[in-house]
Amino acid sequence: MARVLVVDDAAFMRMMIKDILTKNGHEVVAEAADGRQAVEKYKETRPDIVTMDITMPEMDGIAALKEIKKIDSNAKVIMCSAMGQQAMVIDAIQAGAKDFVVKPFQADRVIEAINKTIG
Amino acid sequence: MDMSQYLDLFIDESKDHLQTINERLLELEKSPDDVAIVNEIFRAAHTLKGMSATMGFEDLANLTHQMENVLDGLRNHRFSVTPELLDVIFEAVDHLEAMIVSIAEGGDGKRDVSETVSRLRQIERGETPEGPTGGGAPSSEHAYGEFEYHVLQQAQEQGFSVYEIRVRLRQDCLLKAARVYMVFERLNEAGEIVKSTPSVDLLEEEQFDQEFLVTVVSKVPADELQKQLMSISEVEQVEIAAATVGERTEAAGEKAAPEPLGVAAAEQAAAQAEAEAPEKTPAKQAAKTIRVNIERLDRLMNLFEELVVDRGRLEQISRDLNHAELTETVERMSRISSDLQTIILNMRMVPVETVFNRFPRMVRQLARDLGKKVRLEVIGAETELDRTVIDEIGDPLVHLIRNALDHGIEAPDVRMAHGKPEEGLVQLRAYHSGNHVFIEIEDDGAGISREKVLQKAIKRGIVSPEAAAQLTDQQIYGLIFAPGFSTAEQVSDISGRGVGLDVVKSTIESLGGAVTVDSEPGKGSLFSIQLPLTLSIISVLLVQIAEETYAIPLSSIIETALVKKEEIFSTHNQPVIDFRGKIVPLVRLKEVFDVPRASDDGEAVAAVIVRKGEKLAALAVDSFIGQQEVVLKSLGNYLSSVFAISGATILGDGRVALIIDCNALVK
Repeated sequence: MARVLVVDDAAFMRMMIKDILTKNGHEVVAEAADGRQAVEKYKETRPDIVTMDITMPEMDGIAALKEIKKIDSNAKVIMCSAMGQQAMVIDAIQAGAKDFVVKPFQADRVIEAINKTIG
Repeated sequence: MDMSQYLDLFIDESKDHLQTINERLLELEKSPDDVAIVNEIFRAAHTLKGMSATMGFEDLANLTHQMENVLDGLRNHRFSVTPELLDVIFEAVDHLEAMIVSIAEGGDGKRDVSETVSRLRQIERGETPEGPTGGGAPSSEHAYGEFEYHVLQQAQEQGFSVYEIRVRLRQDCLLKAARVYMVFERLNEAGEIVKSTPSVDLLEEEQFDQEFLVTVVSKVPADELQKQLMSISEVEQVEIAAATVGERTEAAGEKAAPEPLGVAAAEQAAAQAEAEAPEKTPAKQAAKTIRVNIERLDRLMNLFEELVVDRGRLEQISRDLNHAELTETVERMSRISSDLQTIILNMRMVPVETVFNRFPRMVRQLARDLGKKVRLEVIGAETELDRTVIDEIGDPLVHLIRNALDHGIEAPDVRMAHGKPEEGLVQLRAYHSGNHVFIEIEDDGAGISREKVLQKAIKRGIVSPEAAAQLTDQQIYGLIFAPGFSTAEQVSDISGRGVGLDVVKSTIESLGGAVTVDSEPGKGSLFSIQLPLTLSIISVLLVQIAEETYAIPLSSIIETALVKKEEIFSTHNQPVIDFRGKIVPLVRLKEVFDVPRASDDGEAVAAVIVRKGEKLAALAVDSFIGQQEVVLKSLGNYLSSVFAISGATILGDGRVALIIDCNALVK
């Protein structure tokens, strides 16, 4: 069981991830719709894991990842990427992301990523 | 991703690579110990694999992958080059070719290659020593260069372990390169990556299937490393084989003992250095070329022809005006435009090599199938022909070469008995002569039996026994081109598939060429094909009908004659003439083409005797103008089916002459 912060600018995507997570026994402690919110919520809730969309308004996922890493160098962030964002994914991993999942989400992939990251 | 835009390039390049593989394989057969050749084949196969995987042609990629494994084994001297092994590789190449052809024709490039794949696997497995850990996968897939070798050895001396790690990603893994990056990152934390197969560049471009192999030096225990790698998402399987770097000299023998790392004989070092830095070895003939669609060249040619029309007018005007400066300029322009014409025609020329280069393969295979020993000599492969001719000439040549091997060259024991060398010789020659290119196929086989040909021709009713007595040897040999003739005692698999030599003849004639055969019993036969340099330029006889000029292709003309009025007879309301004892119909072109203000026949009629196959006709015209080389132009779409006109040409003075299609006039 992990406490998760879900970050995505699309409410639909947040709902999907939330569904996948709660059905598999994880708890979504907070949601954020852009990078800036994500950093705020991270400070507030100190989740075990963050699922982080890459393309977002205000502050994108990679910038948010870096901010979060500054607050907590042990933060575990899983990037959510679309096809064709290979370079960004690699940037994110260099910046300290633990894993990534590719949209459209498949439940088992998301769970695999979460489990491997907390395990 | 939409790959269709790359398809043309993919097909072109794939064909090039297959050609390279084919050529090098044949070389390899002659010098089986040459690792440089294996390397070249390996590279071509590897590139092909990467390209086809990228394009999503799975079967193609799988087959090349297996082929690559076998080639890698050859490269590492794990097994040696045998004709049987080459047979399997050739078979694989055939499949690859078929797949590329299928893709080029709009197919999906799918093909059942499981048999070939399993045979390749057999070769690979049958002689592959098991890895030291017994981990199933051959661990010696890596060939190390000298530098890498030293790094590994030093690391070992310093107490590092050398691991060969095979990582398999899930089949549906997306963003594979990012996963690879994660694996590499993890490995770099644990130790140092010495080598990866495919190379890092290719991995970054996702040019691999699901698996890749890395060699790592590390102090982390293998099971710990495995756990770390398995913790990366979408990594399906991790096989780690601990390896030791053996003494380099130890394995110098030809039959290397099971060699854990595949670091083999010292003689390989050079080849491996090459494999390490393939960029450093440029292609042997780096001719600077660009690919141009032939349609563009056709358009260029057409536009140029328009220019020629205007040039003709200008010349006419300058003559009329008699202005010195104008005349000078026009003459200069004429000279330049004729140079330009030569260049444009040249651009359409392709070396016959493009057709010839598939024959060595074919001859090898046929000779093996027939149990004969045959050497193929190709001479003059650089001779150039118009692209259109090149495209058509392949099949007839295949047929003739098959014939030479099947019916010409005798079995080795028969040859020995006749005091000939065991190995038969087939020569394929191409050369220029005047406005023609000759392609000759000569064999030193049994030759054609004059008697047999005659007997069969009479039996089949191709000639009458009386006429046969008059024929020269040449004419008798020519009979084998007659429809319905086949000299093969037995219809074999190789030739005589129901397509006779008559098809060869008609194809060549449709190209405006001719084929002849000569033979000496016991010494061999010579098939000679005469081809026009280009199809768009033909030799014609210009004739006048009233005020109009027409062109008759020389290739159909037998002769010209003046026929007296009283020598024209009439049967069934059809005028005929007596031409050397044959009754030949007389066709009045002015009636056929409805020429206005046509004059009546004078005392004698000028006639052009033309033929279509064996049939003749006499075309009545008003007068002969002369022979000329003209450029054949089509009439365009809206005049596509004009009776008895095959096209038009623009004469030097800019006037248009219609080109007569004699085939339509001979009934």
